[in-house]
Amino acid sequence: MNKLTLFGISIIAVLILLAIFAPLISPYNPQAIDVDNILSPPSRTHILGTDSLGRDLFSRMVYGARVSLEVGLVAVGVSLIIGVLFGSLAGYWGGRVDSLIMRFVDIMLCFPTFFLLITMVAFLKATVFNIMLIIGLTSWMGLARLVRAEVLSIKERDFVRYAKAMGAGNFKIISRHILPHTLPPVLVAAILGMGGAILTESALSFLGLGVQPPTPSWGNILMEGKAVIDIGWWLTLFPGLAILLAVLGYNLLGEGLRR
Amino acid sequence: MSTLFPPRHILRGIFLIPFFFLFFSFLFSLYAQQNQGSKVTCYGDAIVVGSIGEPITLIPILAADSASQEIVGLVFNGLVKYDKDINLVGDLAEGWKISDDGLEITFYLRKGVKWQDGVLFTAKDVLFTYQKLIDPATKTPYSGDFKKIEDFKIIDDYTVKITYSEPFAPALASWGMPIMPAHLLKREEDFKKFSRQPIGTGPYRFVRWETGSQIILEAYDDYWEGRPYIDRYSYRIIPDQSTLFLELRNRGLDYIGLTPLQYQRQTNNDFFKQNFRKYKYPSFGYTYIGWNLNNPKFKDKRVRQAMNYAIDKEEIIKGVLLGLGKVCTGPFVHNSWAYNPEVKPPRYNPQKAEELLAAAGWNRKNKAGFLVKDGQQFEFTLLTNQGNEARRKCAEIIQQRLKEVGIKVNIKIVEWGCLLDIIDKRRFDAVLLGWGLSRDPDCYDIFHSSKTRPKEFNFVSYKNEKVDKLLEQGRRVFSRERRKKIYHEIHRLIYNDQPYTFLYVPDALPIIDARFRGIEPSINGIGYNFIKWWVAKEEQRYKLQE
Repeated sequence: MNKLTLFGISIIAVLILLAIFAPLISPYNPQAIDVDNILSPPSRTHILGTDSLGRDLFSRMVYGARVSLEVGLVAVGVSLIIGVLFGSLAGYWGGRVDSLIMRFVDIMLCFPTFFLLITMVAFLKATVFNIMLIIGLTSWMGLARLVRAEVLSIKERDFVRYAKAMGAGNFKIISRHILPHTLPPVLVAAILGMGGAILTESALSFLGLGVQPPTPSWGNILMEGKAVIDIGWWLTLFPGLAILLAVLGYNLLGEGLRR
Repeated sequence: MSTLFPPRHILRGIFLIPFFFLFFSFLFSLYAQQNQGSKVTCYGDAIVVGSIGEPITLIPILAADSASQEIVGLVFNGLVKYDKDINLVGDLAEGWKISDDGLEITFYLRKGVKWQDGVLFTAKDVLFTYQKLIDPATKTPYSGDFKKIEDFKIIDDYTVKITYSEPFAPALASWGMPIMPAHLLKREEDFKKFSRQPIGTGPYRFVRWETGSQIILEAYDDYWEGRPYIDRYSYRIIPDQSTLFLELRNRGLDYIGLTPLQYQRQTNNDFFKQNFRKYKYPSFGYTYIGWNLNNPKFKDKRVRQAMNYAIDKEEIIKGVLLGLGKVCTGPFVHNSWAYNPEVKPPRYNPQKAEELLAAAGWNRKNKAGFLVKDGQQFEFTLLTNQGNEARRKCAEIIQQRLKEVGIKVNIKIVEWGCLLDIIDKRRFDAVLLGWGLSRDPDCYDIFHSSKTRPKEFNFVSYKNEKVDKLLEQGRRVFSRERRKKIYHEIHRLIYNDQPYTFLYVPDALPIIDARFRGIEPSINGIGYNFIKWWVAKEEQRYKLQE
């Protein structure tokens, strides 16, 4: 394992710790408004400063880490389930099933992802869970293609033919013999996907379509910071850095695993 | 100075203040003379105004939102208008006579006023506007004022006599309604075009409207008050206050309304001091939460009163307005004679709120800490419009405070047009909005129980027979003293009923490029003499190409 991978792992580990122990780590309630302390710069009492309602930025960032990690996990979970299901069905059965599923994938890929996201957000209530679901529902196509390609090559291998000859059922062959072999590339794609999901959530929240107030997320803190960037630089710098680091962490980890 | 006033440690400060004022006003008058006296007013240049809202329609009698009214106000005239001291003066009417019983108003119209297409303005146009206002097919929120008219008679081309069925105090002021051209709106279809291409008698004529981007007006050469100095008025629509501000800073805009944060913290540097001028005066409007009274939760007066105790208005003013505003207690602003000073805002008192809620049956809390009644959690959606930072922050503070008494608030921020649609269809629990007020305290349209149909303003469905009666009475009486009593009582009753939770009266905080001269702040704001604003030749920035 090289240094960069280790760096990636340590970023993710810190994030996970922050998210798990958020209530212990954050010095203030992330939603406690304090109108006497509006936009105070980083200081000893508020180490990352306060926002335009006097809320402690550090506490909000720590809770925001929760949202970001959850989004990464759930969104990628959803896209894994759909992607693996469709990919393996298409790859294993081939023929009509394959072309049907793959055309559907093509159709989904035709939509610019972001418009698809915004449209779906308009239909569903913008709760944190729905946002994660929607990100998952719009990002499984790459995984489906990847799984299909893997399955196509694996199903021609001898051990699969042997299993078939032994009379194993299709479901058993896919789940016991084929899917475990697709795991390494899928895992890499999933980890890279988590970084992407975090970025998507931040972008949605930045546009005001993602996680709704008062739940803090890095994206919506950034959005609020935009209005006061000339007098409250800390409101854009820190969440921006956090997003950068988290995405970097996942990407380094993913790249490391690929080798 | 100190020898003149022996106990100087006390007096020095006190007496120095007026001295300083005198000194500075002296300096200022010198400066003003130099600045305004040495240069002659001249024509030319353009003003670029930034706004977060886009007009809905430019048909004057339908224009109900402030963006529409802004444009309509420049393209059209009413018969009367308010001057800088908030007195009614003639606009398209040269003068008027009110009969002793108050039932008849005779308007003497100005002669030689031309519509922007060259046709002469006459009494026919006034009649036409009146007929459209009372036509049941016209969905206008302003019809109430004109339904009291019993008879409308054209005496000659420039005289109209209007007879009311009963005395109607806001009658004269109601003729501030912009007059529409009869000759251009003969058929129903004409209105559709007119709503996006209006022609009026006003100081500016409409040029074009690029949807979602800008509206352009140009000075009307034949304007009866004299051509405005500024050649072009361009109204740019930028639906986000921070983008507006950045655009101002890049000098792409000349005139916007600042947010309190921008006023207090972001415009105090040399750049702004050199290039812009800031103004601050109490606005004629207030911000409130309107409760949908058809919603069983908010039907109960105690619940609404509890809200009033649970929401800390001082905190909102401090946090959202940074102190640039005042607590509001009712539908009138503090400097109006209708304002009842005896209605005192309650102190923030969550215990009292919880007691009131418990009395209304909300006495148990679930695991999440929210109040429950009949198995239902106390939860509602607070709706407000996009792009308004103050309202968003206000909503967040309210959400936090109500959570403390066990009420779950979901904030929903939607685009302006969409919000109006939701309100028209009554599909809301509570809305966080503001009213801009006219100078007459008559608020019949907002609180009378007959005004609850779609597009009308009593969208919270408020009904109180006493208030209804007083609102009717307040329009019937002319004496300021007697009206004052009536409106004070209305103020008290509405406050007691809490159909709205009244939040604050914000200060208006316009900022204008320093090259504009002739701006004279008054209690009526700064916009009243817009056509007299001008820019010195060497400072002009825009040249007309067309």
